[in-house]
Amino acid sequence: MIRRMDAVKLDVQKLVAGYIPGHPILHGVNLKIAPGQITVVLGPNGAGKSTALRVLAGFLAAESGSVRLDGDEIVDLPTYRHIESGIALLPQGHSVFPDLTVAENIELGGWILRGDRRRLHQAVDDVFTRYPHLRDLRNKSAGSLSGGQQRTVEIARLLVSNPRVLLIDEPSVGLSPVIASQVYRELTALKAEGRTILLVDQDIRAAIRIADYIYVLNSGKNEIEGDRAAFEGDLGALVRGWLGV
Amino acid sequence: MVTTVAGIVANGILLGLVYAIAALGLSLIMGVMGIINVAHSAFIMLGSFLALGLLEWAHIDPIASFFIALPIFFVVGAVVYRLIVTRVERAHQTQGLIAMFGLMVLIENLGTIAWTTDTRVITVGYSNANLTVGPLIIADAPLIAGVLAVVLILALRLFLHSTMVGRAIRAMGQNRDAALSLGINVRRLSAIMFGLGIASAGAAGVALAMIFPFAPQTQIQWLAWAFLIVVLGGLGRVESTLVSALMVGLIQTAATAFLPFDYVYLILYVALATILSVRRQGLRGVARRAI
Repeated sequence: MIRRMDAVKLDVQKLVAGYIPGHPILHGVNLKIAPGQITVVLGPNGAGKSTALRVLAGFLAAESGSVRLDGDEIVDLPTYRHIESGIALLPQGHSVFPDLTVAENIELGGWILRGDRRRLHQAVDDVFTRYPHLRDLRNKSAGSLSGGQQRTVEIARLLVSNPRVLLIDEPSVGLSPVIASQVYRELTALKAEGRTILLVDQDIRAAIRIADYIYVLNSGKNEIEGDRAAFEGDLGALVRGWLGV
Repeated sequence: MVTTVAGIVANGILLGLVYAIAALGLSLIMGVMGIINVAHSAFIMLGSFLALGLLEWAHIDPIASFFIALPIFFVVGAVVYRLIVTRVERAHQTQGLIAMFGLMVLIENLGTIAWTTDTRVITVGYSNANLTVGPLIIADAPLIAGVLAVVLILALRLFLHSTMVGRAIRAMGQNRDAALSLGINVRRLSAIMFGLGIASAGAAGVALAMIFPFAPQTQIQWLAWAFLIVVLGGLGRVESTLVSALMVGLIQTAATAFLPFDYVYLILYVALATILSVRRQGLRGVARRAI
């Protein structure tokens, strides 16, 4: 399927990357992430989904290929420059700082704003307004919260720097189905605000439900792609069967 | 008897405070960065010789040298981080241990070449003076060293808990990837953390030189002491390092009051074994590496 779109927020071309030089996990992956949409990357274990996210977030250097954000090349920039460019990563698993309070966790989400204390305080306040229940928990250590509350802190922390592109890695891992569905609702709400989301997920059904466009990777290469309608029909059954879910 | 116990407690606390700053850098570097800096005690030794040099050549009192040592050793620590630690910090922990062991041997041998193996003492006006409070007699040098240690401990704690950079350093120690994902430049903060750890080692060297004789080869004794405190207190918390160091100071002072000094090591290590057999994670009782 050839994808037509008017604008590309994040354009990944022929990306080759891995953890050991000369032994890439990604073998020329191509992704076009449309602005204001949820793009989902699916694939079996070892397909290279999380590796792709780590390269896009600047955690991992690419061996070759291109990553353009709004047309600007960012593939060789260090992690903090990716954040400054407006890309934020929600890593897989719990990532709160357990010994820091909720307020300290959220304030650190605005690390790149630290030079402008007024703007930072306003951004933190906006996040507490968005998630009022966190304001009541602000002085509790983040490690003492429930799994769902910790996930909310992580998402809230992500939003302090007001990123344009959110890279979300397996957001439902370790969460109960009820809490996981709240997380997916939150992602839909973030999309409604105009944010661009790239979601990597093992929960194929949940991911397809909120996706605008879906890529399937296998062995570090593009396998198939299509919009949600295509994946909700026969193609979805085909992929689910192929992935064994 | 009451006077004797009060004296032991007072002197034990003062000694413990100095031990706390000797161990703090080791604990913080290990807790935040996962680097077992066995060269820590070599920087303590360099701090002692810095105090001696400043006193002999420039007539600078060790109290001033304590504060002079902080920025000097901070820069030294940041340079060591950039030249050595960056090459091994993401490798297996053994490689870091070997690199720091090599650095310790290098510094000790350079120290022996520069200053020989002769034991030195720092003698200033208050070295042999005492403060008398009723029946209690406290030597001035440990008192001054203890007060300097309190200032450094409070400053470090204030930095780590009340500044955004300090909180980012604590966050980095708890989840490096998550810190990276927020745009925190972990390499720069690691250089700051390593610099702070070495700065506290250098300052501890000045404080210890106000109380104890020193020579290049005696640095290994401070490494054993610092490790004892870190193992007892757990990694990376200012408070737990302080509590652990105070315990060591009190036990040492009490043992020295009633027994020959040779027994002090035996008693301390038996106490360590006993505590660890009851609480396997040390006094703190928490397995997680965090500050």
